[in-house]
Amino acid sequence: MKEQISALMDDELSPDGLEYLFTAVKSDNELGDCWATYHLIGDLMRGSPMGQPGFKERLMQKLEAEPAVLAPRNIRRERKPMLWSVAASAAAVFFVGWVVLQQQVPGDNATPALAVAQNSPNIPSEYLYAHQAVAPSSSSYFIQPAAYSESGK
Amino acid sequence: MKRVLLACLLAAQVSFAYADAPWQLLQNAADAARNLSYRGIFVYQSGKNSRSVQLTHMNYGQGEYARSIVLDGSPREVLSQGSDLVIYSPRNEKVVITKRRAQNLFPALLPANMEEIKESYQARLGGEERVGGREGQIIFLDSRDQYRYGYKFWTDKQYGLILKSMTFNEKNEPIEQITFTQLTLLDTHNMDWFQPTVDPAKRYVMEEEETVASVDTSDLNIDPIPAGFHKIDQVQRMVPGKPVPVTHLIFSDGLASVSLFIERLNKMHPPQLGHRMVGSTNFYIQATDGYQVVAVGEVPAATVTQMAHAVKFKKQ
Repeated sequence: MKEQISALMDDELSPDGLEYLFTAVKSDNELGDCWATYHLIGDLMRGSPMGQPGFKERLMQKLEAEPAVLAPRNIRRERKPMLWSVAASAAAVFFVGWVVLQQQVPGDNATPALAVAQNSPNIPSEYLYAHQAVAPSSSSYFIQPAAYSESGK
Repeated sequence: MKRVLLACLLAAQVSFAYADAPWQLLQNAADAARNLSYRGIFVYQSGKNSRSVQLTHMNYGQGEYARSIVLDGSPREVLSQGSDLVIYSPRNEKVVITKRRAQNLFPALLPANMEEIKESYQARLGGEERVGGREGQIIFLDSRDQYRYGYKFWTDKQYGLILKSMTFNEKNEPIEQITFTQLTLLDTHNMDWFQPTVDPAKRYVMEEEETVASVDTSDLNIDPIPAGFHKIDQVQRMVPGKPVPVTHLIFSDGLASVSLFIERLNKMHPPQLGHRMVGSTNFYIQATDGYQVVAVGEVPAATVTQMAHAVKFKKQ
């Protein structure tokens, strides 16, 4: 098997039957190591800088010499995480439902559905939940908004 | 001559009985859902959302007990005793317990008193169709106007229960469907099933009870509202993200509900006025006299639009 790997790297194998070799290399740790070692040997023989003495030291020195990047931190606006995730997920759930319902209508397509959904991004979900607390619909019983698990509330 | 008269009278009576038959079947369905003991699995579908739910309902004259377990996805459970309802919703490492008033839980979708909906809907018989292994009778419940959705029910010819329900929007497109895939009557008094599955690895927390106060709405004049809708409640409640309580009025036509939320207009964050829609729920937001009015309901857009615009403040 090792001969075959060597032959493959030297471009001496026909493409037929290579799949088996690749599978073997992937599934067998020893063959995998062999693959890596042969490549390392190849790199060294081709005179890659990796193989020259003091490679690591020189690399670390160069890293040290790199200028530090002083960039402002990504400032985020303070948000109400729970509300937003509820809103987002409710919108997502309903949006998906809506699109699919639209698609079920024969002769219709999803494009107008997309357009409408994008035109009304601000679903006042807080009012929807307050409404469902007194007038629950079937979906409010059986479809759990994804936000409940996301927000961890 | 007498015979002709008699025939006419009989025909009139028959046609009268015929017009009444679908209402009687709907009344039977409403009674059966509350009075019978049964167990089954139904599938709820709304667009891409689909959930199988196992339902056990028992009533041996001691009142109604029911347990619904959502079988797909997160194992949500709903337990109800009479009109008190408790929902167990797993959320990550917790299970949140929510209390609600039971309402419209399938198959008890119809009100106990059919008179409540006769003003707004008309019933007519359809054909017969088998659902979930049971013989069903189709009954249409059509809206009398454009202000509510329509329904199609399949009722069990033997037990009267609703086997299947479809909701149609104002364009007569299906928007929701609930179907029993299996249903059996129960003949046991054993109540062992009436308890939630408890996961010892999870923490159970009660959802904070909302503080709801009664509210004086004598300064409000809400007119005209779509025919058939009546105010069933008015409260003040905290809405998430709002610093002060919001006046919440609830209207119903016996099947469909609309909420009106009225609060002082926030000039710093003015609301996006106008109409929005998600699923079968429509929203309409408008501003009047320094107040913001939000109408929400599982009703057509025309209904929330008219109701939001119906809110007026009496001048002091």
